Amino acid sequence: MKHFLTLIFTLLTALSAVAQSVSTEKKMVRIPAGIYTPFFKLPGTEPTAMSAFLMDETAVTNAEFLEFVKANPQWRRSKVSKLLADTNYLKYWKSDLEIGEKNKELYNSPVVYVSWFAAKAYAQWKGKRLPTVAEWEYAGTAPLVNSREGTLTSYILNWYSKPNPKVLPNIKSTYKNTFGLFDMHGLIWEWTFDFNSFIKSGDSRANTTDELKLFCASSTLYVNNKSDYASFLRFSYRGSLKGNFCIANLGFRCVKDLK
Amino acid sequence: MKTPFSKKLSSFISLGAIALLIGLQPGCKQGTDPSAPFDISKIDTVLTGTVDAELTEAPNVPKPLTYTSPKRVKVTLKVIEKVMNISDSTQYTFWTFGGHVPGNFIRVRQGDLVDFTLINSEDSKVSHNIDLHAVTGPGGGAEASNTSPGQSTNFQFRALHPGVFVYHCATAPVPLHIANGMYGLILVEPQSGMPKVDKEYYVMQGDFYTKGKYGAAGLQDFDEDKALAENPDYVLFNGKVRALVGQGALTAKTGETVRLYVGNGGPNMVSSFHVIGEIFDKVYTEAGSSINTGVQTTLIPAGGATIVDMKAEVPGTYLLVDHSIFRAFNKGAIGQLKITGDENPSVFKKLK
Repeated sequence: MKHFLTLIFTLLTALSAVAQSVSTEKKMVRIPAGIYTPFFKLPGTEPTAMSAFLMDETAVTNAEFLEFVKANPQWRRSKVSKLLADTNYLKYWKSDLEIGEKNKELYNSPVVYVSWFAAKAYAQWKGKRLPTVAEWEYAGTAPLVNSREGTLTSYILNWYSKPNPKVLPNIKSTYKNTFGLFDMHGLIWEWTFDFNSFIKSGDSRANTTDELKLFCASSTLYVNNKSDYASFLRFSYRGSLKGNFCIANLGFRCVKDLK
Repeated sequence: MKTPFSKKLSSFISLGAIALLIGLQPGCKQGTDPSAPFDISKIDTVLTGTVDAELTEAPNVPKPLTYTSPKRVKVTLKVIEKVMNISDSTQYTFWTFGGHVPGNFIRVRQGDLVDFTLINSEDSKVSHNIDLHAVTGPGGGAEASNTSPGQSTNFQFRALHPGVFVYHCATAPVPLHIANGMYGLILVEPQSGMPKVDKEYYVMQGDFYTKGKYGAAGLQDFDEDKALAENPDYVLFNGKVRALVGQGALTAKTGETVRLYVGNGGPNMVSSFHVIGEIFDKVYTEAGSSINTGVQTTLIPAGGATIVDMKAEVPGTYLLVDHSIFRAFNKGAIGQLKITGDENPSVFKKLK
């Protein structure tokens, strides 16, 4: 009997631990397998079969990133190498380990001013990884679940045509898409694993292959939908990035392979 | 990268001596075509110092340049995305070079080596670059200047050809960046300088596409359908309805010569530029080296420019228009040149 009680107790403890870890663990959404049609039509970029994968339901928040910084001293603002994160890294936080009272509305907002290296390290720490451009774009094309804002493209363009808000809104403050992801557009830009493999020269209009010039009229020679201005903006933005850049409207979310 | 100052100084002095010697030889400048491109064989000539370019906001033009040999000219433009009035009752999120539309006027001299820095504001939403039509090089500089928010890029180019040239953002999607106001003018003075006039002004036309109709109140979003159909709600001089009217009017006195550097950012419309009640004494057609005289209306291509000279003879208010006249009447393409001074009845007189 005594053994039985001990067993029950142990089980209960274990269960509650599991429950607790589940509740603090970020929810991931299963992105179903399907076909991804790349925005640019280049050799080797034909429509691709995508396997199912898991993606964070929302962007990583300041509160979540703080846990990472606490556990990984080398990613504190005062410690980080400038090669891995420029001087803007987490500049709005009060200190290394304090988001700060003046940022109290931001705890549940996406972390921004983080470099690609920092985002990648965070993902690894979580046992996850950054999405590829293909994965991100595939996940981001899912339409709005419930919106009278018209098409996804018009929704995105309306976002671009407003200046950045003074205080970055919280996660889940824009829209949910049919995959169950929140804020894929309309809140921040997000890092991707291979953000510069497509357009490498730091100029959005040139590709390493010289096949593609993403500028003036030539930018439209190879694209799927010439009027998809929202996609052009994303690819141009990615093309301007370097891995150590930390920018006001650039954050990230993670993905994970399905076992 | 930087040459030590002493070395610079010595090369500056020795070059100055050479220049002096050459300058003393009689007739050495004779027969130089002022419109000719920069002599590429002189490209390794040491530059005679570094200057910061004077930048101005339209309708003002930087002062004529006084130096007579090529310099390194530093130009820094900052991209700012901001909400401004497009009409008294309507706001629009403009993307700008320098915080206004059109962007800052840049003035350099043929043969100058332009050291160009593009800054993208920290609070910009998107990346931007710059294509200057005065540049001989890939993308007019755009390939070297795609700039993330909060970052800057730097490139240099040689101003080979004289003329006034459009610059614009060329980040994809280019039409959106231009439609949001990302254009301006750069003047490359010929080696002999621009002929002197009394007044110089900077005017730039552009067309705008908004969800609401012309004058609809409030902040208006860009309308991609109207832009694709090339059906603008606004056709404007200097980025705002009435920018060049009333307090903003251009001014001159009778007897003065007036030069307008007029660009057309587009993105779609070609301008039939005309000043009502004036005849252009000189038109630098398409801002190139051929000069036409006695012109009533001159075409300015989208992504092109012109230089017009006229003389203020008779006092009054003269209207700058795109003579595709519905644009002037209904879409805002109208400005004013106010000429004051004594009446000139031998040229014009109302009889009854």
